[in-house]
Amino acid sequence: MKDIRELIKEKRVYFDGGTGTVLQKKGLKPGECPEMWNITQPHKIITLHKSYLKAGANIIKTNTFGINRNKFLNYAELIRKGIECAKKAVEEVEDNEEKYIAFDMGPTGRLLEPLGDLPFEEAVSIFADNIKVAVECGVDLVLIETMNDSYETKAAVVAAKENSDLPIFVTNVYDGTGKLMTGADPAAMIAMLEGLGVDGLGMNCSLGPDKMLEIIDEFAKYSSTPIIVNPNAGLPEVVDGETVFNINEDEFSDYMVQLAERGATILGGCCGTTAKFIQKTIEKTRNLPYKYPTEKDFTMVSSYTHSVIIDKDPILIGERINPTGKPKLKEALRTGDLNYVLNEAVRQADKNVHILDVNVGLPEIDETEMMKKCVSGIQAVTDLPLQIDTTKFETLEQAMRIYNGKPLVNSVNGTEESMKNVLPIVQKYGGGLIALTIDEKGIPDNAYDRAKIAEKIISRAAEYGISRKDIIVDPLALTISSNPESAVVTLESIRLIRALGVKTSLGISNISFGLPQRNLVTSTFYANALQSGLNCAIMNPFADEMMNVYYAYRALNQLDTGCVDYINYASAVQGTVKSDVKTEETLQVCIVKGLKDGAVVQTKKLLESISPLDVINKHIVPALNEIGTAFEQKKAYLPQLLMSAETASLSFEEVKKKIPSEQADKSKAIVLATVKGDIHDIGKNIVKVLMESYGFTVYDLGRDVPPEKILECALEHNCKLVGLSALMTTTVPSMAETIELLNKTDRSIKTLVGGAVLNQEYADMIGADFYGADAMDSVRFAEKFYSA
Amino acid sequence: MRNSDIRIITANAEDVKINKNELALRLKTDRDYNSELLERCRKQFNEAVEYKCAYIRTEVDLSKENICKFDFAEIESRNLYKNLQGCNEAFVMAVTTGISVDRLLKRLNIISQAEHFVTDGLSSAAIESFCDYVSDIMKTGLKCANRFSPGYGDVSLEVQKPLLERLCAAETLGITLNSAYLMTPVKSITAIMGIKS
Repeated sequence: MKDIRELIKEKRVYFDGGTGTVLQKKGLKPGECPEMWNITQPHKIITLHKSYLKAGANIIKTNTFGINRNKFLNYAELIRKGIECAKKAVEEVEDNEEKYIAFDMGPTGRLLEPLGDLPFEEAVSIFADNIKVAVECGVDLVLIETMNDSYETKAAVVAAKENSDLPIFVTNVYDGTGKLMTGADPAAMIAMLEGLGVDGLGMNCSLGPDKMLEIIDEFAKYSSTPIIVNPNAGLPEVVDGETVFNINEDEFSDYMVQLAERGATILGGCCGTTAKFIQKTIEKTRNLPYKYPTEKDFTMVSSYTHSVIIDKDPILIGERINPTGKPKLKEALRTGDLNYVLNEAVRQADKNVHILDVNVGLPEIDETEMMKKCVSGIQAVTDLPLQIDTTKFETLEQAMRIYNGKPLVNSVNGTEESMKNVLPIVQKYGGGLIALTIDEKGIPDNAYDRAKIAEKIISRAAEYGISRKDIIVDPLALTISSNPESAVVTLESIRLIRALGVKTSLGISNISFGLPQRNLVTSTFYANALQSGLNCAIMNPFADEMMNVYYAYRALNQLDTGCVDYINYASAVQGTVKSDVKTEETLQVCIVKGLKDGAVVQTKKLLESISPLDVINKHIVPALNEIGTAFEQKKAYLPQLLMSAETASLSFEEVKKKIPSEQADKSKAIVLATVKGDIHDIGKNIVKVLMESYGFTVYDLGRDVPPEKILECALEHNCKLVGLSALMTTTVPSMAETIELLNKTDRSIKTLVGGAVLNQEYADMIGADFYGADAMDSVRFAEKFYSA
Repeated sequence: MRNSDIRIITANAEDVKINKNELALRLKTDRDYNSELLERCRKQFNEAVEYKCAYIRTEVDLSKENICKFDFAEIESRNLYKNLQGCNEAFVMAVTTGISVDRLLKRLNIISQAEHFVTDGLSSAAIESFCDYVSDIMKTGLKCANRFSPGYGDVSLEVQKPLLERLCAAETLGITLNSAYLMTPVKSITAIMGIKS
């Protein structure tokens, strides 16, 4: 029998229909696991498979959907028995020649990190255990189905790839809005799944064929891979105590004809469908002309929600997460302050960039670990695709593995070393690939030779199955201050490389290195490069000149219908200018009212005439005291207090810029943590903001922090004040444990506790030095502690 | 495969009036508190929220003292047993604001504690209000006991596991449990509401 991958090139093949819903009719109770029948009633499972094979289905799904080691101790036995049932059915049905057994895997039922608590590698390992059993028994393909999360889908595909050579088919569950439960649209799934090299992709369950018709065009537009459509028989309804689905086999098969005509290549059914549905579908579609999907030419990357297509419309790649020349980011990476990195990510996303570059390369840190933390962390707070930027192959591989979607990879170059290491990783996980025109001899001084290197990389990539459309060449802009011909050669390179049929990218900012007023040169160069056909710019989205060029270029080149984006951008620019001018409120009023922009302007103004210390003592602190007192007297509410605190912190940041770092007052410090076992950090974060606004240095250890780590931090920074937070009664003991450890080690360390479940009595009982009834209370205590 | 007796209710942000008392309680303000901050947070929340409810109407057997026997679990509890007195059926439900709210909260936790605090409170008040909204729909024409959620009184959070499985909540609502039996999306509620016979 032919490999199914070959068969689908020639003809339309058919999946079977529903399993669980058919078994329910045969007596399966709601809540009962259908997979148990593999052992207790195998004849019924075999009969079910046979009914589908007799109806003409080519692929039967093993009754193994819900099996995994977390749900069943005897998962391996259940899988073996399930596959046995399928094999038996295949043996017993003789009048159907093309019969394949798909090993069926459904979701684990848990949500992956960062939003859930299932680590990616654990998910991979759960699926891998299933696959190993299936491979041992012998099946024809793997079907990963009913997945409603892109990340879990990836984990399953990676497990299948790493533990078998079987064909891999994947179908996801889309809702009425055409998205997965966790947000991905078809284009995002196609980008990721094709990157991973699956053999068939599509949708199943949840929707009837009528609703899938609304999504099929998206699949047909973007997918170069065979498209699988396994709909439900509409929606379930209860009629006279019996469950019926609202689409019958005649209507179903009519819809399937339309789905086939619009691009679905592999047809079958899901809940509510029976052998009759499949039989009718086959009858009506068998003689329709069959077309294998054509190769699509989109350069796509994706996140867990959407794809970004790199084409005529320029793409902005935010460059701010890169420690080169950024002392604050360096410091954050050294101390492991992920919040700083995430903040940079969110701020850039707010500037409407399309992709974020992530480079965390510092010699003194574990780059791979930091990269993984950043990729995962950034993906929890923005839905932009990421560009993984590293020179370390190990870091690249690990980051691509845990990335949720299809990333951009920065970068491969024309050296043998780079190609032989980077290309296999991209082949395995899938990604857009930035190719630098540099090789063992360096960067050529002319466009022709740079294009030659690009060609070399393109043909080497092809050997790894990486298509030209996934390559984006960066001809490397060097600064004109030391390479006067650089801009001209780079622009010429872009034109030549575009002619090779690949997309282009540039790290734009390099061009002006060493010159005054860099943004002027950079933005003019950007305009030139766009005119030469540049697709992507790695750039600083906070440089207004760059954004000006971007919006104006799109308006001028018919990429912005009705100049809508330009007008919105221009009016926003005007708006910020106005509000700056209007700020006449004093700093103190700005802080009390929580006017952030105004506070920054006023702080800068004050710093021109008075000393940094006076700004703090005569303006910021009195403002904080005013709002703090109002809060204590119940004349102001917590949201206002927080706004004021945030505003004061911004003001502080301005002041700090004027204080040489060696003079900075590090004496007022506090270690803050939510104790082990507790994942609630809202109260702790409120205290943190307030403490910072009062000028405290805060060592924030986050949530679920073990006692030893808290002690270690206090000792390391010689910090004598530790604030502990707990929200759940169950975690108070771990707070007590922490206090005990601190007291035992160094009695001069004072503890300050707070949280919803605590009160003075509790605090006394567990030996805390102070109980903070609210955030303000805690600040007052800390102030007193350090003034004593 | 979804159990076929499961019913789904969805709602838009406009459909669900957020209960002012609930909100004031979370924000620690008075009932009429309003501010530009609150309105900004409300707008962001409304863009993110996708209210969804899955529920079943099912029998409950109270024949053994302090045991509430459902088709998905036998719950031993004095509190729930008392709550369900006079009922031989109950609605079993799970509601959620959807995963986008979790993402919004994570993002705000990075950029602004003020917005995070307010939006967190807003989301908690909103899911309670949505729970009231769906309960009202279910209750139409019926007399019901007060809603009872796992985690109250002597009913442990662990009950959420069979309850959510019965509602096929991973599939119907995208609700999953972590190892501490806490739900994701974080703003989700499970509840049992007895129907007086």
